[in-house]
Amino acid sequence: MTTHIESTTQQETSSSRGFNWQLFLQDNITGSWYQAILVLALAIITANYAVGQYETYPVMTIIIVAAWLVGIVMVMIGEGRRHHTNFSRWLKENLLSSVSNILLTLLVGLLIASAFIGALQWGILNATFDPAATAPELQPEDGATWGVIVGARKLLATGVLGPEYSWRVWTALFFILGMWLLTYISSRPVLKDKLRVVRNVINGLWLLSPVILYIFLAGVANAPYNFTGALTGGAVLLAIYALLWWQKVIPFRWTGLIATVATWPVLYTIWWAIGNSETFTPINVDEWGGLLLTLIIASSVIVLSLPLGMVLALARQSDVFGIPAWIIWPAGIGATIWGFTSTPELLATSRNLVEQLLSFWPIMILAIAYLIHRMFKGNMVSGASTMFIELIRSVPLITLLFMGINMAPFFFSAGTSIAKPWPVIVGYTLFSSAYMAETIRGGLQAIPNGQYEASDALGFNTLQKMRFIILPQALRIVIPAIVGQFIGAFKSSSLVSIVGLFDFLGINRVISSNPQWLGLRVELYVFMGLVYFLGSFLMSSYSRRLEAQLGVGER
Amino acid sequence: MEFEGPAQSFVDEIIIVENVHKWFGEFEALRGVDLRVKPGEVIVIIGPSGSGKSTFIRCLNRLEEHQEGRIIIDGTELSHDIRNIQEVRREVGMVFQQFNLFPHLTVLDNIALAPINVRNWTRDRAEEIAMKWLTRVGIPEQASKFPGQLSGGQQQRVAIARTLAMQPKILLFDEPTSALDPEMISEVLDVMRDLARSGYTILAVTHEMGFAREVANRIIFMDAGKIVEENNPEDFYNNPKEDRTKLFLSQILHH
Repeated sequence: MTTHIESTTQQETSSSRGFNWQLFLQDNITGSWYQAILVLALAIITANYAVGQYETYPVMTIIIVAAWLVGIVMVMIGEGRRHHTNFSRWLKENLLSSVSNILLTLLVGLLIASAFIGALQWGILNATFDPAATAPELQPEDGATWGVIVGARKLLATGVLGPEYSWRVWTALFFILGMWLLTYISSRPVLKDKLRVVRNVINGLWLLSPVILYIFLAGVANAPYNFTGALTGGAVLLAIYALLWWQKVIPFRWTGLIATVATWPVLYTIWWAIGNSETFTPINVDEWGGLLLTLIIASSVIVLSLPLGMVLALARQSDVFGIPAWIIWPAGIGATIWGFTSTPELLATSRNLVEQLLSFWPIMILAIAYLIHRMFKGNMVSGASTMFIELIRSVPLITLLFMGINMAPFFFSAGTSIAKPWPVIVGYTLFSSAYMAETIRGGLQAIPNGQYEASDALGFNTLQKMRFIILPQALRIVIPAIVGQFIGAFKSSSLVSIVGLFDFLGINRVISSNPQWLGLRVELYVFMGLVYFLGSFLMSSYSRRLEAQLGVGER
Repeated sequence: MEFEGPAQSFVDEIIIVENVHKWFGEFEALRGVDLRVKPGEVIVIIGPSGSGKSTFIRCLNRLEEHQEGRIIIDGTELSHDIRNIQEVRREVGMVFQQFNLFPHLTVLDNIALAPINVRNWTRDRAEEIAMKWLTRVGIPEQASKFPGQLSGGQQQRVAIARTLAMQPKILLFDEPTSALDPEMISEVLDVMRDLARSGYTILAVTHEMGFAREVANRIIFMDAGKIVEENNPEDFYNNPKEDRTKLFLSQILHH
């Protein structure tokens, strides 16, 4: 910026006295050693590249160099007459403002043009488009074989999932698209107030959509009706309702009570009936693949990590003093003494020094109690949240995915087999929500103290204060960062191919090792790049729109 | 402008403060403050910066926690019990130096949010009352604007309306005019004067002498965390008892 201003002022003074060669050289080349060396190096590189390009694409190089020279001449004429046309002023200001920029313009122009010609030749001129002719002997030497994308569309879309399930995937897709369309239409300003009931129904459907999608994409097994389960669920809901009423969170109404308690048995009965009808037979979710798997993982992680991150961030910020010192120390010391009862036996059976030392393990309890007390002053909520976040953030995602897959069986009774996508989703969600928590914490810290004080003074309780005052402002501040994380989650979901899942990127290996499409990697990567770009671009443009919408009334 | 008065209080002394101490780390901000306030009294607190006057009124609705002594507001003692604190905060409204309006909500929502969620009123009723208070502070036409679009004086009047919509019995003003441009101070003081006359119990930290002389029942001068002098406005400004008060008054009057 400064250099630009300086150079214009200097040019103004020089033009008032006629063109000053000395000043021009000083400005552009001899101003300092670095500048001179830079311009020289740039000139050599550009000249070399131009000569090289002339040998490969002579016509293109001649046209570009000629256009470049014409541009320079136009700018020089404009300078000489001390009057620029609009075009020559644009050229001067944007492309040809100094010697180094003149050289860069030519270099970049040649680079872009040759990349464009190369892409054109490989992608269109020398390419074949026939889905049937993709075998290695039919693939063009120096062109793309685009037929693979049409030919392998099934693998790209759903991986090795059996064709008998296709209709369920399609229905799920149309369900989501339809929901989006309905939400969009019903949130138009014209319809917003008229369609209040419809919007409530849509919101309810969104809440239920994970279950609906699960039924479509994973299926329901045909199991005998579980009466105890249905009743227990109803009893739990009754207890929750009673608790909320007792704590004066909700008022008592018979209709509300009955609706709440009946929810579980009714939903369970529907679930059971769906299983019984055998329309949605269970799918082996290990067969999920391609874009379907990528979308399932990415959207689960995105949908789950935001609320989880919010809870973690609020917990880390909280000042709930959970366990005071007078409980921590007696409990810690008691547990340690109890733990030492095992020490004599361990010491007797230990075979070396390390094992002897390990037999004094109860000391660890004291150390942990000390750490908790010292670092968090007994604030267990904040302490646990901080430890979780820091632990997860200090572990690579790959490690979490491997741990998820290998450790998942420990949590279930022996013999239960867990399909890979579930631990992957859980591990990835934990990872993502730890980062999300830190992002949201940044937003929380940006809220001035006065906002907390004003809401306290008005009598809001902590939940209301967060829900109505703090979080809406904090989240708005961090929308760009949150969407950045969503985009990251979408793209990084391709890491799951390392733990043996064939997501949209991983399916490439399956396709290009198939005899029919042998060696066709680049075409697939180009296509995948486009799809990832489209997804990321949609998300970021939506975030820009959201920011503009929410920016109303911002100071 | 005539204001509707506050709900009646059934205690003799609506604020009882006994020997209150407050430390910020090593620093003792309040060193034994005693004060008794009857319903409807208007008290102006003045004092040099750092004298603890803001800290003191912030203790009255527990924005700051006192470590020693007792504070009883309308019969409820402030303690660690969160329910007592909530109860007191419903009865005590506070107006801040920096307004502290919620920038993401419209003026109307700023005022109606607390009555809806804390008092459990319906939205219609809360908005009706919000409009009533907006009319009374003189800016009903700004209801659908955002705080950022208003002038400082208008923002402070919205903040007062927001406080009043909760129907408090006690109003705390923490230097309400200090962040305002001079020409906007009078519009806020006018509103405060009318509130004082319509029976609210008011504790105001302010150096506006005109306001203090006109409506205060008592003026309290604080210095170094203590109440140095307590007097009626006339005597306070004309014949202060304490030397410290004289020095302070001479400083603020001849600068």
